[in-house]
Amino acid sequence: MDEHSYRKPRPHLPTKEDIAQYEDVWERFPRAPQEKKLWTPAFTTGVAIIAVGILLLLIRFIFGLGSITNLSSGFPWGLWIAFDVVVGIALASGGFVTAALVYIFNLGKYSPLVRPALVTALLGYAMAAFGVFIDVGRWWQLYNPVLPWHWQGSSALFEVALCVMSYLLVLIIEFAPTVIDKLSTNKDSKLKRFAIRIRPILEKVMILFIILGVVISTMHQSSLGSIMLLMSHRLHALWFTPWLPLLFLMSAIAVGMHVVIVESMLSAKTFGRRIEMPLLSGLAKRSIAFLGLYVIIKLMDLIWADEFTMLFTSWWGLLWWVEVLLFGMVPVFLLSFKAFRRDPRWLFWISWMVIGGLILNRFNVYLFAVQAYDGWTYFPTMWEVIVSASIVAFIFVGYKYLSNKFPVLHKEEGLAKA
Amino acid sequence: MAMDRRTFLRVSAGAAGGCLLCADATLASPGKKQQDFGSNVAMLNDLTRCVGCRACQSACKSYYDLDQYGPMEGLDTPGGLSEANHCVIKEYKEGDEQSYIKRQCMHCNHPSCVSACPVAALEKQDNGVVTYDPDACIGCRYCMVACPFNVPRFEWNSAAPKIQKCTFCEERIAAGEDPVCEDACPTDAITFGTRDELLKEAHRRIAENPDRYENEVYGETNAGGTSVIYLAGVSFDKLGLRDFGEEPLPELAEKVQHGIFKFFVAPVALFGLLGLTRASNMRCDPDDEDCIEE
Ligand code: SF4
Ligand code: SF4
Repeated sequence: MDEHSYRKPRPHLPTKEDIAQYEDVWERFPRAPQEKKLWTPAFTTGVAIIAVGILLLLIRFIFGLGSITNLSSGFPWGLWIAFDVVVGIALASGGFVTAALVYIFNLGKYSPLVRPALVTALLGYAMAAFGVFIDVGRWWQLYNPVLPWHWQGSSALFEVALCVMSYLLVLIIEFAPTVIDKLSTNKDSKLKRFAIRIRPILEKVMILFIILGVVISTMHQSSLGSIMLLMSHRLHALWFTPWLPLLFLMSAIAVGMHVVIVESMLSAKTFGRRIEMPLLSGLAKRSIAFLGLYVIIKLMDLIWADEFTMLFTSWWGLLWWVEVLLFGMVPVFLLSFKAFRRDPRWLFWISWMVIGGLILNRFNVYLFAVQAYDGWTYFPTMWEVIVSASIVAFIFVGYKYLSNKFPVLHKEEGLAKA
Repeated sequence: MAMDRRTFLRVSAGAAGGCLLCADATLASPGKKQQDFGSNVAMLNDLTRCVGCRACQSACKSYYDLDQYGPMEGLDTPGGLSEANHCVIKEYKEGDEQSYIKRQCMHCNHPSCVSACPVAALEKQDNGVVTYDPDACIGCRYCMVACPFNVPRFEWNSAAPKIQKCTFCEERIAAGEDPVCEDACPTDAITFGTRDELLKEAHRRIAENPDRYENEVYGETNAGGTSVIYLAGVSFDKLGLRDFGEEPLPELAEKVQHGIFKFFVAPVALFGLLGLTRASNMRCDPDDEDCIEE
């Protein structure tokens, strides 16, 4: 696709008033609700899966976790933690990555991607938090990490808990303008007047929340890696490294960009819109550095620790190669060619490869390469899989619903003018 | 110029992110409340004296009313321990070699479970006992994943599940009594005392009877040392007591974690840097193509 088919946005002119008012990129790329047909077959299927998931969870809450899961003393964490929570949070990083690109590094051209990425992040984090809620045994005490007399600074999980809760709040605040925009198109009402009054205030403080969101994200994305630092005795040497926090952060940033790419293409298809190809290939280009560096650190670390030969002497080595080829080597190679980067089809599948590789990585670190004691084994029950599936379904259904009803996606004319 | 400054800021922002992660060891203060473990309460399990009668196991079970959770398990279940068994006797047998092994919480000097728990539901008390408080616990099971001895157990089939593990009979100890398992043992395989005393006693037994014992007191230094220590006639590895080295296992994780949170320096610095980066980007020349493009 032609990379220059849309007007390059004027950089923000920093007059005093502008800074005071917070630059309104929404004006350059006005958004609109899509208002397409909601109850398509796909949407209905999604809702049905969610309904089954809810039924299963009823059983779980009445009879305990053992009733529908295969968790055991040897595998206290299973599919729900590895997928719903750990993978979910990594995949939801697109929100903070795009926000940082646009508002901190002033790459204004990416602003059409911000709101949809934010919606994905909001749904992703909401579902990760929900995943924690259904997985912990004593859920009615789940607010305990907030209470200062329970604080436990040595625990990476404590940090993750606090960060995820506060980032969810930040995301809600970042999403608020979308809701307010919607309200301000309502018929005159108290709510509308309130929305119009609060909008400028929100705009003034928004940048603080955006930066806060980025800081909180760096903290907990890396801490999800720190969690496994306690498990030197269980985690296979090919995955255990003091660099886990850094690796987790870098891979989250890289995969965030590719999630935005896939999300944007799927939503273009769903709503019959044009693919924002120039933006997406730009994003893909930016991800190369993170992916490449990630692979280099992973390799260097193994060489440094003198564990390099393990890569060729066991099945674990093979698993490692599959993971690193998917999340790293192959995508870096392909993306370094303009032709692949700019071809929507190729880009779509490369992005899926990155996402698949990341999922495999998180599963390796949290499940596969965690050695059990005394011969315990784990394979998820069908019910665990269905519950995870309904969490994914909720994200898709929610995305479609929100972009249909709220001004999330930009109006296409904004891009079309050359 | 603008370009240079921006590049600089980008790089330094990256660097700040970097230190946030690999936090320097010098910043760290691993959460050791205690330096000297000698006066802690301790238990010596002399496996060569154990005859496998399981008096300790059933005494523990009935004292803590654990029968309600399920049957007596032991020889054949993996790990042996369960929410219904805080203390389990298992048998090891291969060729002529035979030994029983008493499995229970080790009450580590540097417990991974305590380091893991996000809400301080598990705590190392001043007397060395690792206690559990269900009113704090959220049931995340990080303690189970982290414990190197695979000790904490979870009530999988309860709607209000708790973590279950050996309590070292904390209330009995506080009242000046001995742990129930020690009282129940007919062969004196279990000795209760302070850690210093028992280490001395253990070494005395080895010195007196070098043929009877492996020349090692398990738990003296393993994983940073434990309050429950062992003597055995066969190698500890075969009994499932792995050699974890002398380093306390939670040390690495705590260093990283404390490094990041030391006075909140790193996150606040990152916040400032990102703010500066933005400010500097906003100030660049609008006609400079580079201001927006890469
Ligand atoms: S043995 Fe496990 S549960 Fe017991 S104190 Fe040590 S780490 Fe904690
Ligand atoms: S399950 Fe309870 S005791 Fe164990 S780490 Fe989680 S909150 Fe702490």
